[in-house]
Amino acid sequence: MGVNVVVCLKQVVDPELPAQEFAVDPHSRRQVRTGKALVISTYDENALEVALQLKDKGAASGVTVLTVAPAAEAKDAVRLALAMGADRAVVVDDPRAPALLGVEKAALLGAALRRMGGADLVLTGCESADWVERVVAPLLAEAIRASCVTFVSRVEAGGGFVTVKRLADDGVHTVEARLPAVISITSDESNRPRLPKIRDIMQAGKKPVETVPAPALGDVPGAMADGVEVREVAIPARTTTCEVLEGEPAEQADALIQRLRALKVV
Amino acid sequence: MTETVEFQLSEEHRLIQGTVREFASREILPRAAALDRSSEFPAEIIRSAAALGLMGMMVPEEYGGAGQDSMAYVIAQEELARASAGVQAIITVNNSLTCEPILRWGSDDLKRRYLPALADGRSLGCYCLTEPGAGSDAMSLAATAHLDGDVWILNGTKIFVTSGVEADVCIVYARTGPEPGARGISAFVVEKAFPGIRVGKVEHKLGILCSSTAEIVLEDCRVPRGNLLGEPGQGGRIALATLDGGRLGIAAQAAGIARAALEDALAYAKGRRQFGRAIAEFEAVQWYLADMATRLEASRLLIYRAAYLRDQGRPYTKEVAMAKLFASETAMWAAHKAVQIHGGYGYVKEYNVERYFRDAKITEIYEGTSEIQRLVIARHTVRP
Amino acid sequence: MPRILVIANALDGTLARSALELLGGATALAGAGGEGVDALLLAPRPLEDAAAALGRHGAKRVFHAAHPALSTGQTDAALVAAAAAAARAEPEVIVAAADTVGRELAPRLAFRLRAALVTEAMELRMDGGALIARRQVYGGRAMATLAVTKRPAVISVKPRSFDVPEPSAASGTVERLAVEIDAQALGAVVRDVAAETAEVGLEEAQVVVGGGRGIGGADGFTLLQALAEALGGAVGSSRPPADEGWVPISWQIGQTGKTIRPNLYIAVGISGAAQHVAGVSGARTIVAINRDNQAPIFSLAHFGLVGDYRHIVPALTAKIKELKGT
Repeated sequence: MGVNVVVCLKQVVDPELPAQEFAVDPHSRRQVRTGKALVISTYDENALEVALQLKDKGAASGVTVLTVAPAAEAKDAVRLALAMGADRAVVVDDPRAPALLGVEKAALLGAALRRMGGADLVLTGCESADWVERVVAPLLAEAIRASCVTFVSRVEAGGGFVTVKRLADDGVHTVEARLPAVISITSDESNRPRLPKIRDIMQAGKKPVETVPAPALGDVPGAMADGVEVREVAIPARTTTCEVLEGEPAEQADALIQRLRALKVV
Repeated sequence: MTETVEFQLSEEHRLIQGTVREFASREILPRAAALDRSSEFPAEIIRSAAALGLMGMMVPEEYGGAGQDSMAYVIAQEELARASAGVQAIITVNNSLTCEPILRWGSDDLKRRYLPALADGRSLGCYCLTEPGAGSDAMSLAATAHLDGDVWILNGTKIFVTSGVEADVCIVYARTGPEPGARGISAFVVEKAFPGIRVGKVEHKLGILCSSTAEIVLEDCRVPRGNLLGEPGQGGRIALATLDGGRLGIAAQAAGIARAALEDALAYAKGRRQFGRAIAEFEAVQWYLADMATRLEASRLLIYRAAYLRDQGRPYTKEVAMAKLFASETAMWAAHKAVQIHGGYGYVKEYNVERYFRDAKITEIYEGTSEIQRLVIARHTVRP
Repeated sequence: MPRILVIANALDGTLARSALELLGGATALAGAGGEGVDALLLAPRPLEDAAAALGRHGAKRVFHAAHPALSTGQTDAALVAAAAAAARAEPEVIVAAADTVGRELAPRLAFRLRAALVTEAMELRMDGGALIARRQVYGGRAMATLAVTKRPAVISVKPRSFDVPEPSAASGTVERLAVEIDAQALGAVVRDVAAETAEVGLEEAQVVVGGGRGIGGADGFTLLQALAEALGGAVGSSRPPADEGWVPISWQIGQTGKTIRPNLYIAVGISGAAQHVAGVSGARTIVAINRDNQAPIFSLAHFGLVGDYRHIVPALTAKIKELKGT
């Protein structure tokens, strides 16, 4: 038996890109994407790993990856997810996707999930590596009437509910959530994303990928973030100039302590 | 990744490159220096590499391999060698010098018996060709094999065998016929478990220290008749064809070392400040880095072309000799410059560049010295 | 000027500092001569002192929800109370802290109220009829300015974004808010809370030494601990060391709400490329120690020491101990 798991993935411009390559398009008010390497959003990979571990243990009957993205862009991420072990993929082809806010994304994901017949367990990353809004999981839970726990590091499934470890401000909470559940995943030693086997990279090409044009989802309520306008996205002007302290370590240490004492920080 | 007019890495190749790079940086890089200091065989890393499918990359899936082409292979080897040339040496010998000859010249029975274990890490392979009196002049080897009923009896001493200590499956070349040179030689699959084979002297080397290099001694070693590769007298052909494939792996190893040298030198030059600025701002240093980068790209293109030809089923002996020659000389030169850029810090073990310097040297020697590579290229270029 | 409801978290039995911070921010937002700011106090039992504190710090009306189900981490229960308070107070803007519960509560409440939603805001102000919120995006590399014209609007605020206002003698009215919570019907229930203990909490420390991927392993952190100890501070890390298991996950800065605002932050072996920056940019003085002089962290730091931390950090520790005569 086992739960039917859907993992929501998103692709972002590699957050490890050097600072010089980070640029914002003043018209779209989003990061410049053309020509930049795209990767699966950091914590989405951890979410996929958690799903695959549930499958390995026999607790999940299948793992589907779901993404809302321009179809051509999504190919690499989907291929990698299938190579890691997901069984199938659903791509909601939407050219607007990179610019959509979390509210809009969640609405589309909810509509896609309904079209797929729902899921027992939906896993997402706890936050996206670009806008870091942290809203998709809670909003998605509301949209599909599921329970919700965020910032989870570990998931155990069984008996109609999941038992999870939520990393909270004050420590670790053990939470029981009834199915269907939407759980957002944060990184942990236990959920380091696995590397695909070379063989599976080739096999991945044979797994089913369904592409659904966004308009086919019909009128999606909430797909427009009405009443919230992004006025500006700007790189803050550097207000600090960094004083580089030269010399051998002992000299550097001396110089730093002098400065810190002058500032009364030490 | 560089994309040229002729070569565009496919989606699969890119994914494989990314995966192996990630594997190397997670599993190999953090341990590379320690492995070099201890000369310890990296058993856990080899196990993980096998689990990913890296030990039998070009072995067909029906025998448990990853069924990859040469292009995927060289891409993966470069990524592995960038992290540790020693680890990669173990892996490339298993792939190119053990799996490949069994795949090409082994009977169905031999393939079924040995390839799955070599591919999934249960077995480790090694290559026994060189002898004290037969190095560059490999075809003058003196080890003998004669048939006694259903068993071949092998006698001889092989030296400089990579993974000689840990391997359990050995490709061994011995003289079976009266003809001098290549035509009298045959190739065999010999298990360490067979009676009459033992590990002799273990070498202490300059570099690739976590890869063992040993003497293999055959004293009336009994090898089942069916363990002959191909036909008697085909050993010379098998050796040369196998070495061609092996040179792809070594060329990629050299490219990996050159890349390591370049990346480390770049990082160091950007951080090291003298005379009030980063040394990366001085033209002399910039020119070294520019040359390292250029030669690395050139090495890669030669490697890719050789791999491409091999995948097309076309002759590639000249091209792989060029790739191995150029890439190995580049690795040695780049490692040397990397040490120089590091100054005093390049000479101490706290930094990795001295290891690259020591590791690079072997690429100019094994699987055919640079002199032999030049001979091969000349033979194809200066044909009467 | 908008009618604002602040959600004050006392789910663990004590009033969170963030509640007072929110009152400070909300009061500034509401402006003078407005309807004032209301507060919803969520607690497992009646907390008169907390309610009074809210009044002293600017809440005109305090709606006190006290129910055993309103305990640590119980978002589903808090949602019920929040919806009841929204119906009672009819706020135009609801403000919650982006803490463990708030991060789940704000979006879900916005959905149920069909409200506009902005999360992790760091600045709030009015511009005509529009509520302007500013938040970090792209891992802290840029700031987004959002204008919210729809009402109601639910905003979650990053902890430490506002200052706790000066208390006055004023007191607000306190009204018990009746809430019907069926503990059996809650979607997610907290079964256990394992509190983390740290000698010097990361969030309270005046000095923090943070280590990143450049530390190279668990061993390197002992050098950082020595430095932190000498300075009387705490040790933290960026994400990679926690993911690798070199340090416990509770040391991670820039994640799970661990935003720090120390006087001094020393970033060791941290590139500063992404999320981490968002968690530390509030530090008064930032020192970066890194081998790569191109590392993005240097554009954030006040002082940069380029070199090997294994040499620099012990040199610093030694000098500080010398100074302090220890």
